[in-house]
Amino acid sequence: METTDLELVERARGGDDDAFRLLVERHSRGIYRTAYRITSNSADADDVVQETFLRAYRSLHTYDGRASFTTWAHRIAVNCALDLLDSRKRREARHDSSDDLSELVSQDASPERVVLGAQMQRAIAAALQAMSGNERTAFVLRHFEGVPLEEIGAILGIKTNATKNTIFRAVTKLRERLQPFTGSAS
Amino acid sequence: MNHVTQEEIVMAYYGERFAHLDDCEECRTELARIAAVLDRVDAPEVPEPDADYESRVWQRLEWRLRGEKKRERRREWIRWGAVAAVVALAFVAGLFWQRENRAVAPQSVSKPAQSPNQIVSQQQNQQRQRDRILLVVINEHFDDSERILVELSNLKPEEGLDIGPERARAEGLLASNRLYRRSAEDRGEENVATLLDDLEPVLMQIAHAPSQVSANELRAIQKRVEAKGLVLKLRVVRANVRGKTAASYQQPNV
Ligand SMILES: [Zn+2]
Repeated sequence: METTDLELVERARGGDDDAFRLLVERHSRGIYRTAYRITSNSADADDVVQETFLRAYRSLHTYDGRASFTTWAHRIAVNCALDLLDSRKRREARHDSSDDLSELVSQDASPERVVLGAQMQRAIAAALQAMSGNERTAFVLRHFEGVPLEEIGAILGIKTNATKNTIFRAVTKLRERLQPFTGSAS
Repeated sequence: MNHVTQEEIVMAYYGERFAHLDDCEECRTELARIAAVLDRVDAPEVPEPDADYESRVWQRLEWRLRGEKKRERRREWIRWGAVAAVVALAFVAGLFWQRENRAVAPQSVSKPAQSPNQIVSQQQNQQRQRDRILLVVINEHFDDSERILVELSNLKPEEGLDIGPERARAEGLLASNRLYRRSAEDRGEENVATLLDDLEPVLMQIAHAPSQVSANELRAIQKRVEAKGLVLKLRVVRANVRGKTAASYQQPNV
């Protein structure tokens, strides 16, 4: 039978690096996906994965097994990703994606579904870019990963009402960006 | 009738129950409109990492964890080392003082054994011995630094080079660099202090670089090392310091 995450955590706490390696191997791909959705960049997602496991390793003693290891590690990952976005925002003036968008929207919509699908994907990506770190994270977790509101609030350190509001703002931005694709639906 | 808000409709889409929606055609239409948009929002495609992904993550992580453990051990070591160093310093200083005191005895024969002058000279000797020990320690520090700089200077700038080991060492040296610089300044060892001063920003740059540097980042480090002529300076100052300390260590035996 496969060893549970909790057993691995306990062994890792006792200094068993092989146990920690198994945890890394089990969860790195999932964390990478979440990190990618928040950072929209594979190099950043890689860094988030590294930082997440490093922080997890340092704070293994605080893991009490109440949440699943997946949830616990994802919580750390989301925070790492937000830190990364924050530091980037501080470093460079925020990239204004509205230019890309106008370019995107002004392109003649091809009747072909494939092309439309690709354009829609780009518009979604642009909308995600236009969101604040919290908005994007809340939206990604709720919409793509189905994480409950309370859990998202706990990750972001905000109350449930604020979480709802954050998701609403994210959805509003998304709807604005997707208008060209959905507004004229007959 | 109070309609639900736009925010509530979004929450309804994500599963929250609102009794109002059962009765209100208008709000249900609005929900359907929002659902039509959100239903089409699929997760942006995440480039699927290749089959080796997990092992690469572990490889990169493993040595960082090793660094983590080393730092832990170093902290432990520093705690004990600090105690040991004080004991050793006191012992060595005492030993040298006794020998030197005997060596300089002819000068002090004419004076009473406990003259204020002699006490002052005892203190000076002790201080001088401590300075020598400090110089020996700093010289080791220079030696370590030089090795890192030479290693990095010899790397061919490529993307994603792993300078993890150098970075970890630079990080360790950075803390002591500041300490030594202050001590060297206090003791009027100007050459040493200046070199430590030049060294600090470079060590900082290396310590704060990502473990996998880009070609540009590496080039920037190499340029800095070269511009300051650091490797050469390190060699010159080390040779000087070595000469100084060697001379003073032999002295008591003469
Ligand atoms: Zn209504």
